[in-house]
Amino acid sequence: MEVSNRADDFIPAGLASLGLEADEIELAVIGAAHAMFWPPILELLALDVGEAAPEPRPDLSQPPPPR
Amino acid sequence: MTALDLSLAGQAAAIASGEADAGELLEATLARIAERNPALNAVVETFPERSREMLAQAPRGPLYGVPVVIKDEWPLPWRAQRFGAAEMLAPSAPGESGPYRALRDAGAVIVGVGNMHELGSGSTGNVSVYGPARNPWNPERCPGGSSSGPAAAVAARLVAGAVGADGVGSIRYPAAYCGLTGLKPTFGRAAMEGHHMAPYSTMIVSGPLCADAADCRLLGSVLCGEELASGAPRGLRIGIVRDAVSDDVEAPVRASCAKAIGLLCEASGGEMVEIELADLDASALAGVLIANTEGMNGLTPDRLNHLDPELSPLGRGLLKYRMLLPAAATVKALQVRALMRQRLAALFDRVDVIAWPTVPAVAPPLQMPLVELPSGTLTADQANVRGGALANLTGIPAISVPVGLSEGLPIGLQLQAAWGRDELLLDAAEALETANGRGKVEALPPLAEAAAASTEG
Repeated sequence: MEVSNRADDFIPAGLASLGLEADEIELAVIGAAHAMFWPPILELLALDVGEAAPEPRPDLSQPPPPR
Repeated sequence: MTALDLSLAGQAAAIASGEADAGELLEATLARIAERNPALNAVVETFPERSREMLAQAPRGPLYGVPVVIKDEWPLPWRAQRFGAAEMLAPSAPGESGPYRALRDAGAVIVGVGNMHELGSGSTGNVSVYGPARNPWNPERCPGGSSSGPAAAVAARLVAGAVGADGVGSIRYPAAYCGLTGLKPTFGRAAMEGHHMAPYSTMIVSGPLCADAADCRLLGSVLCGEELASGAPRGLRIGIVRDAVSDDVEAPVRASCAKAIGLLCEASGGEMVEIELADLDASALAGVLIANTEGMNGLTPDRLNHLDPELSPLGRGLLKYRMLLPAAATVKALQVRALMRQRLAALFDRVDVIAWPTVPAVAPPLQMPLVELPSGTLTADQANVRGGALANLTGIPAISVPVGLSEGLPIGLQLQAAWGRDELLLDAAEALETANGRGKVEALPPLAEAAAASTEG
């Protein structure tokens, strides 16, 4: 299935579904952010991280526990 | 040289020995802020009476009588933080924050609040409710963010040390842009109490911005509540990453960083080790997504529909866009965090530090913060996060050290080490400073240099 990056589909629908209002300038900012973030987000979603599961309650002051 | 132009450690020593008077230093600092700050907008508020009271009550600690600036990110007993914004999105009130207590108990005197990028959400410092802070090396260039004011204040020698915060590189970017040393401590090691995001952020730490590593060690020890002991790094194994992201930097930045890494290697009798660290782009995005998600705590669509109109259009638009991001991406980001932590833990068995440019290009123009890289034109935020987010994502400490100039603007080298090895980073930074003849850390921006020359003349 073809992936759509089109801001004019995603943004109005997303804002409307959350009941969010945006003026013209905000819409321009949101459009620019979408153009910048969405392609890498799709890449991230497609990234194969193998069996890496999120660490439950990670202690970020320490290395991860050995697996 | 007056006490005002001494290093942080120099000021502390001069006061302790009686060579300098703390009261005179405070008044001279306030006068210098009044003189130099209008061109920089680094300090957004001073409170001379509060500072004088602080000095009058100061204990004889390691920073007794030493003036410092603190970022607009923590409350003070007489002032609520504003987070660089017309609306903070979280309740704020005056109070005793962790960094405030640490400074007070060390005898330091808070002389002002440092400007910052609005809501901490940018690496440039060109958006703020107070107006942009300016880079002392060139006031038309960005000072870096989000700790823009603390960095500009130290670079212009308004003060010798400042407290910043680093959620996605926010101490290291301005350190690099302003020619300073900036330490992002290991997550959880430095005082954070009172920060409105402290209860749930897994990214943000407080840390020092100073001219050199010795001053960062002194101020960092105060913030960490323990001595960051010094030592001489021997046989340092320096990890070098070669990939599309880490090599996508301006030529002068690459050359200065490569030269500095060579010097550090030689100075420590160490070796360079080429390493692989896959998925750096994904880890940068993961860091941004986690920081964004944590920053949305407590926000509702209704709240977002009634934002203060004085909040910048950029800030308003980005906050609303964050609401549209898929939760699955944040879950994936947490998986990437786990993966990168595992990879780094394995890597740090083979190397002591990982080195790469703090930012891939020198400070961009305030009006249009874009950078030209071999891969093309990027926003400074896009470019900077590639090298800055990993330490926050994984919790490791990192430091930016000045290593050169290009077009009259500073270049920073970033060193990252394993969890809890903050001291090693300071040791390595000091070794590099010495190998450079201290020229890089003692270089003054034109604004401070001209003033110093006129004083001497």
